[in-house]
Amino acid sequence: MNDHRHFGSSPDPGNKYAKLASWLQEVLQSPPPLKEQSAPAAEQENQLELLLDSHYHLHFYQQLPDFVMALLTNDPTATTRYAPLLYHLAGCSECHHGYLDLYDAMSAAIHAQEPRPLLGQGTRSLAATPQRMLGHLCQALISQAEAVQLQARRDHSDDDAAARSLLQLALTISARITQSGIRRPALRDLVRVATLREGTETTKGDSSALYTYTPALSGAGGARGRKTVRRADMPTRPVEQEPPIIHLQARALEGTISQQGETLELHLQDLGPELRGRYVTISVPLGALIEPVRWIGGNPRAIRSAVPVDANGQLTTPLGETALRLSDPEERNLLEAMFMLLEVRPAS
Amino acid sequence: MPFTAHDLRYHAEESYPLLYAYLHRNAQRFLGTLKYDAFEVDTVIGHVVEQLVRLGLFGAGDKTPPTALDHLTDAQFYAFLSRSVRNKAIDRLRKRRLQVNTFTELEAPEDENREDNPLDEAVAPPWGAPPFSTPEEITLHLASQRELRNLLKHCILLLCAAPHQLEAVIQELKEMGADELLQSVIADLELSLPSSTAPSQHMSQHKDHAHKKLRHCLQQQSTNLTVMIALRLTEYTKLSTDSKVYSVAIQTLAQDDLSEGDVRTGLNELATEGLLDWHNEDTVNLTAAQLKRLARYYREE
Repeated sequence: MNDHRHFGSSPDPGNKYAKLASWLQEVLQSPPPLKEQSAPAAEQENQLELLLDSHYHLHFYQQLPDFVMALLTNDPTATTRYAPLLYHLAGCSECHHGYLDLYDAMSAAIHAQEPRPLLGQGTRSLAATPQRMLGHLCQALISQAEAVQLQARRDHSDDDAAARSLLQLALTISARITQSGIRRPALRDLVRVATLREGTETTKGDSSALYTYTPALSGAGGARGRKTVRRADMPTRPVEQEPPIIHLQARALEGTISQQGETLELHLQDLGPELRGRYVTISVPLGALIEPVRWIGGNPRAIRSAVPVDANGQLTTPLGETALRLSDPEERNLLEAMFMLLEVRPAS
Repeated sequence: MPFTAHDLRYHAEESYPLLYAYLHRNAQRFLGTLKYDAFEVDTVIGHVVEQLVRLGLFGAGDKTPPTALDHLTDAQFYAFLSRSVRNKAIDRLRKRRLQVNTFTELEAPEDENREDNPLDEAVAPPWGAPPFSTPEEITLHLASQRELRNLLKHCILLLCAAPHQLEAVIQELKEMGADELLQSVIADLELSLPSSTAPSQHMSQHKDHAHKKLRHCLQQQSTNLTVMIALRLTEYTKLSTDSKVYSVAIQTLAQDDLSEGDVRTGLNELATEGLLDWHNEDTVNLTAAQLKRLARYYREE
């Protein structure tokens, strides 16, 4: 039995059935692996997908512009200088596709015949840029930060500053996204990537953390003119009375972060008996990513509560001071992103 | 106020709106009939933006070394962006299978530089199969191709119960120039080729359904053991009530015509090819993604 899975693999390139074979191959082609679907379908429909994931071959991909330019300028040493890249391109369809894209675009650039395009029109601010595109940019930056860290790990080098810079940019841009339905998926991987270097499974919760809080993202000027957009499982509150606070939740438990002057205060309730009467340590893993907050004790990963949890399981304790205002929508978004993960455990 | 590659590298936040506006104009220009489809426009823009991020230009500051893109003149850089948008727009148009008149206008008069591109010509060989080592292998292969064409024809003919799907496939055969098969199908069905090729509004959907039926039919017609097992897995597995796993017992797969040993051989083959996670257990468990891949599995006899 002759056993060829690929219908297009005819030995004769001039075979008149080649196109038919290619078509059949396309019909039978295995679908690409399904991406992990953690967002609701409705969110994904409106979301742009990234073309590359963070496992793309960064080292080779970023050499492509120089390699293409060497080819376009007939550099006789191009193939020897870029021999490893050349061999990689022969075996990697993703990078090869990128190469073809770049070759064509750079070739057009070098031999540009079109008149200089008109500039200076269109939107001038991030606020006027479509939210979906801001979300996509955040995702691309976060994914790139992960790619940089993965590459650094392979190279046994330290590229933390590069990754950190990309994450900071993503965080800053995300603050301009007012629709929580876009901001939430845009920042979905932020905590995981930001804590990648620590080698901890922070996204799943520190094993010693008793409570892992995440924000119920909200946004000013949300869908259909409402002021806030909440998760469906959040209790309904009158929209008109929405105070400038960040709502947190840990399974059935709720908490809030409010602001008194410049001080950010954490309010937790219904904490378990094992914490009552005890001081707790609060960890904000993204607290060190950007630095607008002066954290109590100086370390956002180990903020000791100012008071012990009371007999009813309630705790109100300052976290730090900041010039950012929760009453300002953009600054609130920035703070909310920073509190994408807040862990509480007994103080040692 | 124009932006430059330098701005994108060092002042990403401020430059992004300008970049977006420039890419948006170009995307609309090149997307033809799709230019009012906001999702398509944003997809094209997103592709170029992501490429700039992946190349270590956008927002990278001093963290990545400058590349040839940083050394382009402003005009060259805009031309680069414009061409990148154009290529992605064409890609999207192709994916939507739209016949647009503007397509030919988008092509460069003569792309003489193409011949400088050594890897363009090398697209096929690295992924193509190695040549056949003996004349017997070639003969066998050609014979099986003929059989395969007959099988394919049989399956296409079955589509006559769904005229729109049949039309979609005939249209595809026509576009790809598979004349012999096309004429044979036409003759058997006593059809005449439609004179106009105006695409139906739901042609893409019809085509997808037709492809699904063709795959299923081809699997049903196959006597290859591994294909038979793949087909049975897609037909007999049941979703567990308490998980997202699809399960089936080996005995169920065996039926009357296959022994349990045959089934295990087929399953082994599928597991070797990475289509299953099966280690000789009495029950086969599958994920939805694995089932989807199995539905597309095929081997020539």
